[in-house]
Amino acid sequence: MPTTAAPVSASASASFRPAGTLDASRALAPYAGPWNRRLAAHLLRRAGFGGSPADVERLASMSPSDAVASLIRFPDTSSLPAAPPLETPPSRPLGIFRNAAPGMAADDATVSARKAFQMANNQNRRRNLIAMQTWWLERMIATPAPLQEKMALFWHGHFTSSPEKGTTAQELFAQNRLFREYALGNVKQLTLHVSQDPAMLRYLDNNVNVKAHPNENYARELMELFTLGIGNYTEQDIRESARAFTGWTFRREPDGSGSFFDNRGQHDDGTKTFLGRSGTFTGTDVVDIIFGQPACARFFATKLLAFFVYNDPEPQLVDQVAALLRKNGYELQPVMATLLRSNVFFSDRAYRALVKSPVDFVVGTHQLFGVPKVVPQELAALRAMGQVLFYPPNVKGWDGGSAWLNSQTLLTRENFANAVAQNPATMTTATWIAPTLKTMDPRQIAFQLTDTMLQGDVSSAATAQLVSYLGGAGQVALSQLSYENVDERVRSAAYLTMAMPAYQLA
Amino acid sequence: MKRSNFLIGALSGLSVVGTTDHILAKALAQSPLPGLPAASDRVLVVINFQGGNDGLNTVVPFANPDYYRYRPSLGIPANDVLRIDDQVGLNPALGPFKKLYDAGNVAIVQGVGYPDPDHSHFRSTEIWQTAEPKGYASTGWIGRYLDDAGLPKDNLFNGVALANVLPELMIAQRTDVPAIDALRGYGLTSDKNGANREAFHQFVSDATVPFRSPYLAHVAEIEDHAQRGAEELPKLVAGYKPEATYPATPLGRSLALAAQIVGSRLGTRVIYVQHGSFDTHVTQKQTQDRLLADFANAIAAFYADLSAHGNANRVLTMTFSEFGRRVAENASRGTDHGEAAPVFLIGGGVKGGVYGTHPDLGRLAMGNLAYTTDFRSVYATVLERWLARPSTAIVGGSFPTIAALA
Repeated sequence: MPTTAAPVSASASASFRPAGTLDASRALAPYAGPWNRRLAAHLLRRAGFGGSPADVERLASMSPSDAVASLIRFPDTSSLPAAPPLETPPSRPLGIFRNAAPGMAADDATVSARKAFQMANNQNRRRNLIAMQTWWLERMIATPAPLQEKMALFWHGHFTSSPEKGTTAQELFAQNRLFREYALGNVKQLTLHVSQDPAMLRYLDNNVNVKAHPNENYARELMELFTLGIGNYTEQDIRESARAFTGWTFRREPDGSGSFFDNRGQHDDGTKTFLGRSGTFTGTDVVDIIFGQPACARFFATKLLAFFVYNDPEPQLVDQVAALLRKNGYELQPVMATLLRSNVFFSDRAYRALVKSPVDFVVGTHQLFGVPKVVPQELAALRAMGQVLFYPPNVKGWDGGSAWLNSQTLLTRENFANAVAQNPATMTTATWIAPTLKTMDPRQIAFQLTDTMLQGDVSSAATAQLVSYLGGAGQVALSQLSYENVDERVRSAAYLTMAMPAYQLA
Repeated sequence: MKRSNFLIGALSGLSVVGTTDHILAKALAQSPLPGLPAASDRVLVVINFQGGNDGLNTVVPFANPDYYRYRPSLGIPANDVLRIDDQVGLNPALGPFKKLYDAGNVAIVQGVGYPDPDHSHFRSTEIWQTAEPKGYASTGWIGRYLDDAGLPKDNLFNGVALANVLPELMIAQRTDVPAIDALRGYGLTSDKNGANREAFHQFVSDATVPFRSPYLAHVAEIEDHAQRGAEELPKLVAGYKPEATYPATPLGRSLALAAQIVGSRLGTRVIYVQHGSFDTHVTQKQTQDRLLADFANAIAAFYADLSAHGNANRVLTMTFSEFGRRVAENASRGTDHGEAAPVFLIGGGVKGGVYGTHPDLGRLAMGNLAYTTDFRSVYATVLERWLARPSTAIVGGSFPTIAALA
């Protein structure tokens, strides 16, 4: 039926590269300009999720270099809950999954056993997923090492896996731990671990990649989406490297955990020719060869810049970060230290130049208002905002940027913000609000809100409007600010401050 | 190809154009059917049968003994099937839908699928919605249509998704599509307070901020859409009175709202509706019968309502599901994830009948039905012959259209 196959048209999309010109000669040199809460908050939004007003204050009181160092060297996190409370999956009764023989109907006992098992299994998976999402969000909120969690989120969106193909929560959690362990570790070693990670082996079908029938899924995505990008390898390279990965599979324990298993009997020992080199390569050799390609460094440099600095980075900037990655043997910690200290990172062009992800938005709002716990409705809200942890939309991960923004996702963000502002506990947990209430002065309250929540990134016109709102403009009853209405009015003003455009931007 | 009697506007009792003459059918395919509105006044409603609907027990090949061999407990007895011809018939739960078929307002396209089928709900749904079976597209096929159809940019309702999350199908680059679960509860919770509403409106469009951001204008624009859309939609559709009784189910409520949007003439071209879940691994019959009966009742009410308002010829409805199900039933009187399945095209502009070839039950692909019609052929048909747009760029290739539309 199909006559011609052509890639789906990529309509011209607006570029979201910041206006202005890159000063390439000084881009990665350490920033030595003025230092204030505004830039400290910028650093915390990127190398974390925004932090509390006290966190911002603390970083602002250091030098820029020390502030970055405090984020790059992860503080002790042993006080945080180490793992989500996961339930062991129900065990599978023997024999209930065979197909009925043609002409034979199933018997009632088998039907009800299978029904019961599947119900128990689905409930187990749902509870475990909720437990993992809640655990991770609460960890992001509470951690003294926010960059560790931000990097884990970066890797989760990069080396994607999901429970979609029957991966257990235990396996996904093990992958999440790997991302945390290698947060700022060696990218090449992480890639090798990911290639042997049970959740990944299952998600990209390498568990069925065997000598007699090579499955190319992992080999293809490894190069296309994880390390090199299209145009830097051939279809022949995919076929050859798929052979190198044959036999890499995993074993699952009854408790739901998995472990890598190198099934030599299913491995193709023959000679492969891959990216211009020949040998009896294994998956380890393939990862080695990939990381020797200049395109690999540029690929990671582009992704890191787009996630931490700004969208669509200039090729000169990409090349500089790529050179840094190669010089450091793909050790990420020194590279990120340079990047986060750099002129380009603290430039006007990078400031508020990213869209907050739903996770940034939700976690940052929790930190701002001092709310440590995450309730199930928030998981539903995150879904409506377009980001479900442990469930990236596809192997490409979240597109991010303008893809986060549509009426549906923004309505959900605003209603989430309103729910937080109207929550009875908010006035006590957000300790920075209480002193403003006492002043009963619309001007001071408006200043406090826009200064703490937006670091003053608001127009004077909007500030004036917020003052008049607090003063009672347009209100039906009790127009002047008083003890009767101050609580309600400040909550609404806090919500309205979150509705300002700056609050959507990281 | 087969054609049965068909009839236009049967629901409103207008005119009858019945024939089985193939030559006349061919001639009609070349020119628009009488009574059809201009393309700019047409609406496409897409119903997603979520979870993978079993096509074999929807359009039943009752004359094929293999069907009963593979379906010892789930096979629908030939006497119960609502017969379409001497080969196939509809599931008995589809009674009201069969009436639409008999009136000539339903085209059944057999064996629709795509190459190298994926059995994951997630991935297969994504393939159906992006029309990209090989790689990963960031936009949906309807999204690309909305971006490129030259629709009025200031209309907030060019496309509407009746869902709580925007489906991939409607993700566009330049068109903001509202996702509405129900009119009640849609919008900003803060808008209940007039002062808040006014203040919000001013703040989201705060353009003179003391920083530059490449996203600033975009954020302000979408915030404005979100607030204005939520505020305006209930008012815009308030004057519409339904003229049919819809089932009190989520699908019934969605289609009632769809008829309201169509009837209020907001310039909406595409409405997305979801129905399910059809993921019938265990004791399939009760779940599928309930969902198909709900579909039949809701779609019959929808077209009765549309007809009563003179809109039946304006609306084409297309169903799809991420996959059909395994041919052999499993040991739990259910079926596992499969491949090809039929697609329905419904409406006054449809030339009723059965199109395409039923997949061969004697030559299964690993226990599954091999597709005989590429899903992009169905999309190309809808795009070119209903929405009057070229399809090649949208579906990523040139696919033959099906003669099921005027």
